Amino acid sequence: MPEAPIVLAAQGLRKAFASPAGPLVVLRSVDLTVRAGESVSIRGSSGSGKTTLLQLLGGLDVADAGAADFLVPGRGLVPARRNLGKGVGFVFQNYQLMPELTALENVLLAARITGGSADAAEARALLEAVGLGARLGHLPAQLSGGECQRVAIARALINRPSVLLADEPTGNLDEATGAEVMRLLLQVVKERGTALVLVTHSREFAARTDHQWVLSNGALSPA
Amino acid sequence: MSILGVGLGVAALLVVQTVMNGFGEEHRLRIRESFGDCVVVGRRPVEQPKELLAALRRDPAVLSATPFSEGPALARNGDFSGVAFVRGVDPADAGHPARRYVYAGAFDELDDGRVILGVGLARALRVQVGDKVEVWSPAMAERAEKGKAPLPAEFEVCALVRTGFTEVDDRAAFIPLRRFNQLWSMGDRVHGVTLRLKDPAAAYETAARLNVGRPALQFVPWQEIKKNFLEAIRFEKTMLFFLMFIITLVASFSIGSTLFSAVIRRSREVGVLVALGARRWQLIGLFGLQGLLIGALGTGLGFLLTWLILAFREQILGGINALFGDGNLVANVYQFSKVPLHYDAMDFVVAAGFTLLVTTVAGLVPAMWAAGRKPSEAMRDA
Repeated sequence: MPEAPIVLAAQGLRKAFASPAGPLVVLRSVDLTVRAGESVSIRGSSGSGKTTLLQLLGGLDVADAGAADFLVPGRGLVPARRNLGKGVGFVFQNYQLMPELTALENVLLAARITGGSADAAEARALLEAVGLGARLGHLPAQLSGGECQRVAIARALINRPSVLLADEPTGNLDEATGAEVMRLLLQVVKERGTALVLVTHSREFAARTDHQWVLSNGALSPA
Repeated sequence: MSILGVGLGVAALLVVQTVMNGFGEEHRLRIRESFGDCVVVGRRPVEQPKELLAALRRDPAVLSATPFSEGPALARNGDFSGVAFVRGVDPADAGHPARRYVYAGAFDELDDGRVILGVGLARALRVQVGDKVEVWSPAMAERAEKGKAPLPAEFEVCALVRTGFTEVDDRAAFIPLRRFNQLWSMGDRVHGVTLRLKDPAAAYETAARLNVGRPALQFVPWQEIKKNFLEAIRFEKTMLFFLMFIITLVASFSIGSTLFSAVIRRSREVGVLVALGARRWQLIGLFGLQGLLIGALGTGLGFLLTWLILAFREQILGGINALFGDGNLVANVYQFSKVPLHYDAMDFVVAAGFTLLVTTVAGLVPAMWAAGRKPSEAMRDA
C-alpha cells in the first residue's frame, strides 16, 4: 500500500522570545511530519511551547529558524506563513468566533474570506454533522461552550483543509462536554480524511490519536 | 461622535464658503448695477455725448448706453444736512437699476423739481417722500466767490431707494441729467457713459475692443472698477477655505483615533480573520472602508447642517447680535441688509472629495497597522 502524501512538514523550527533575563528559547529545533489522514497529538506542560509550535506550524507566527510547509491541493507543499486559510484549519481553545455573527455566518465567513467554493448548503451540512443543525441562527452568546467549539470545528473544516490544527480544543469545557467534542472532532476529521494535529494536556485524548509526541525542553520526543 | 465631528467640519467649511460666495456675488452684482457693466470716462467731460452714444448703441455687444454726470453736493433740510453724491440720470431710462431698489414713492415721478434719495441720506436729513430738500452744488460756491448770491436748488423727494449697500443708501441722490448739468454748469457735456452689455462676463474683451480708435476715453470693465476689493474677497475665500479645511483635518484625526481604538479593541477578531486566511488588503479595505463610511455619513450630515444653518442664518445672526449687543454687523460693517448666499456646486464637490479622502486615509493608517501584525500577537493581546 503506497504511503499517504505529506500534508505538513516542519524542519528545524526554532523560536525564542525576549525576556529581561535574555532570550527565552521555547523551541530549539523541532521537526514534524504529518501525512494525510493521520492524527498527531502533542502534549507538554504549561509553558512548554505547545501553542507556539502550533502557531508556527499554521503560519500564525514566524520562526526564528526552520520552516513549516503544508499541502495545498493542486500546489503541493507551500510555506505556511503566506498561505493562511488555504490548506490548514484552526480550532482554538477559546473558540475565537465572531460575536456578531450567527453560527452559520461564522462558518461561511471562513469560506468567503478565502474565496473558497463552499456555500451555505455546505456550511449547513457541516453544522449538522457536528450536531448543530437546529442552532444555525444562534449567536455565539446564545450557545454553550461545547456548541461554540463545535461551530469552530465546522468553521475550520469548511475550506476542506489538508490538516486541522487544534489547540487544546477541550481546555475550556467540562469533562463530559470535552469528551463529546473530542469524539466529534476525531470523527469528522476521520470521515473527511483530514489530518489532525492536536495540542492537549490530556493523556486520554492524546491516546486516541495515531501518533503521540511530548514537547519538553524545546524539542519533540515520542510519548 | 466621529460622524458628528466630520459633519461639523464639513458644515463649517461649506457655510463659510457659501456665505463668502454670497458676499462676492452680491458685491459683483452691485458693482455692475451701480456702475454698469462698463464705464466710459475721460480725463475731461465728454464733449459730444450724442455722437458717442449713437456709436456705442450701434455696437452689437452693447445693450444700452446711458450718459451720466455725478458729483458731491451739500443736501440740507432746515437744521439737518448731509453730503449727497448726486448722479444725473435719464428719468425715462426703463432699465435703470435704481428702479429695482425703490423703497417708497415712484421712480417715474422724477423730474427737474424732484429728487430720489437713498434711505440713509433721507434719514440723516429727516425727510420722507413729499418733503423738500435743498441742494448746494460746487458750481454755486463758485458763483458765491464771484460775488453773486447763490440760491440753493430745491427738490421735492419723490422716491427713496434702499439697495442694502449702505455706501449707496447713505449718500445717493438721483436727479435728471439735464438738471444736474444746469446745477453743475456742465452745458451739454457729461462725465461719462454707462454701458450695459449683452455678456457682462466678456466685459474685458468688449471694453478693449470699444477702446480701439478712442484714445481720449477710457473703457473700464466692471471687474476693474473695484478690482482690489474683488481680489480681496477672492483671497479671503481661499484663506477661509484653508482655515476651515484644518477643522476637517482635526475631525479626521478623531476618526483616526476612533478607528485605532476599534482596531485595538478588535485585535482578537483581526487575528482570527488573518488565521482564517484574510489577506492584508482585505483588512486594509475593511477598516479603510469604515473610514470612508464615516466620511460619507459625516459629509451627508455636513450638507444637512449647512442647509439648516444657512436657512436659519438670519435668526442665528440675530441671536448672536442680541447676545453680544453688536447691532446689525452685516448692515453696518458689510453694507448688506442680510447675509448673502450663493451656493456653488463645486464647493460641495471639493468639500466632499477632500473629506472622503482625508477620512479614508485616517482609516487606512490603523488598518495598515492592524494588517501588519502577526495574528499570534493580535490574538494574544485581546
